[in-house]
Amino acid sequence: MVFATAGAIVADTARAQDSDDRGTLQLHGFMSQALVVTDRNAFFGSSDDGLGSLEYTEIGLNASMRLGDRFLVAGQALSRVAGNYGDAWEPTLDYGIVDYQALTSEALVLGVQVGRFKNPFGFYNQTRDVPSTRPGVLLPQSIYYDRSRSLGMASDGVSLYGERHLANGTLYWQGGIGVPQIGEDAEISLSARRPDLDAKLSTVGQLLYAHDGGRINAALSTARVRADYRSRVTPSSEGEFLFQPVIVSLQYNAERWSVTSEYEYQTRELSGFGDSRANRSTDGESFYVQYQYRFNSRWQWLLRYDYTLSDRRDRNGRLYAATGQGPSYSRFAKDATTGLQWQINPHWSLQAEWHYVDGTAWLPRQDNPDDDKTERYWNLLLFQTAYSF
Amino acid sequence: MLRTLIVTLLLSLSLPFTTAVQADDANVVVIANPAIAQTSIPLETLRAVFAMRQRSLAGGQALHVFVLDDDAPLHETFSKRILGVYPHQLRLAWERAVFSGTGQAPNQVASEAAMIDAVASTPGGIGYARQFNVTDRIRVLAVD
Repeated sequence: MVFATAGAIVADTARAQDSDDRGTLQLHGFMSQALVVTDRNAFFGSSDDGLGSLEYTEIGLNASMRLGDRFLVAGQALSRVAGNYGDAWEPTLDYGIVDYQALTSEALVLGVQVGRFKNPFGFYNQTRDVPSTRPGVLLPQSIYYDRSRSLGMASDGVSLYGERHLANGTLYWQGGIGVPQIGEDAEISLSARRPDLDAKLSTVGQLLYAHDGGRINAALSTARVRADYRSRVTPSSEGEFLFQPVIVSLQYNAERWSVTSEYEYQTRELSGFGDSRANRSTDGESFYVQYQYRFNSRWQWLLRYDYTLSDRRDRNGRLYAATGQGPSYSRFAKDATTGLQWQINPHWSLQAEWHYVDGTAWLPRQDNPDDDKTERYWNLLLFQTAYSF
Repeated sequence: MLRTLIVTLLLSLSLPFTTAVQADDANVVVIANPAIAQTSIPLETLRAVFAMRQRSLAGGQALHVFVLDDDAPLHETFSKRILGVYPHQLRLAWERAVFSGTGQAPNQVASEAAMIDAVASTPGGIGYARQFNVTDRIRVLAVD
């Protein structure tokens, strides 16, 4: 409540300044708190114990300002707890950019962003931690997995963007080159033996077409995320890790309902190792179909089916299990989700969401250190309240 | 607190989807500060401006976008009839711009009169109003 009041004051101050001197400084932020309950397996803390886990909290604060006619400077600090995910409460710079819109004609806009930019990846990645932009409490974990999220979050570098206005549609593109912030989360998710990953120059790009004001949206996103890979067990064993996802996104928006679907094909490749047995490439795939229904401007219902597969050549995970690396069901996850969202007022929201999951492919290892002690079938119930201004 | 919550809950359940009558009959037009040189704007450019992606016009003039509350009938009419998008899509576009560092939120004003004042007194101001409220302090932009 204190936060809400403080937020309102800050927002009012920003608005007052705006109308007084036409300054363009804006301050915005958000905060969320969730209760996570599971019957088996732990998700974001000890969710399977007692009344559940409160260890899912997000706080973000940003400032932006226009300088002259063509520059925008913007930055956001993010502090987050998600169970035993590595960086609890540690504030991080989510993005910090100088944006220069070099050309703005009626048919064409061209611009460049320099600094830490959010990777344009699928429909949701750029604002994945902002509750008011998500269709539910959790984004589809097949594509927007939280357990190794640092792989796709943001890059330090340069991004070029543009949009071409057509008769009744707009074509957008964005291409960036930079160094991602690959963290421990990606290391532990890649292998229980926690290899050391050191991010290298990577690329990301997206092409999006919005038809008729966004009634139909279609996008193609791709990235090449590169890192140096070194085993912590045998440090002499080193090579390169390449993560290359391609996402096809489709969405239809009507007044009361939206249907969204995204498909991802991802390649994870290890190369350059002295021992050639370590060099390998694994292709995984994911997709989800999501339906949102708006009863009115305050109430929304969500229905989603989400599927992910770690290795296309081993759909049921039996080959993986046969090698003794872990259970077969840790190589896939089928998640049926339904949820209800209540927008109490323009700032506050409350939502509840239920997942029935078969498989543990995106279950955080941070919360479940022993793969063999996980269960194949589990229920996940989330309640979340969020405030934004 | 609980009581307020329950009352709000019940009220919001009974809320019809379109919250009020449309700002019917009266034609809604795009209005701009007279310092903006052009007299018309293509639909896709207007969409980019109101989605807060395009910050200036071809001449380089920085734009300042003014809007009413999401639930205001005039806002709904403008969104649907002029832009051809639903208010919830605009809201999402603003949230995405604001929280990804790619744009800013529009300036929200309390009434149509305040909108006209703001657009008239802000160089680069752009907004919307009902045709019969248009005065010579503001310019009407035709949408191509």
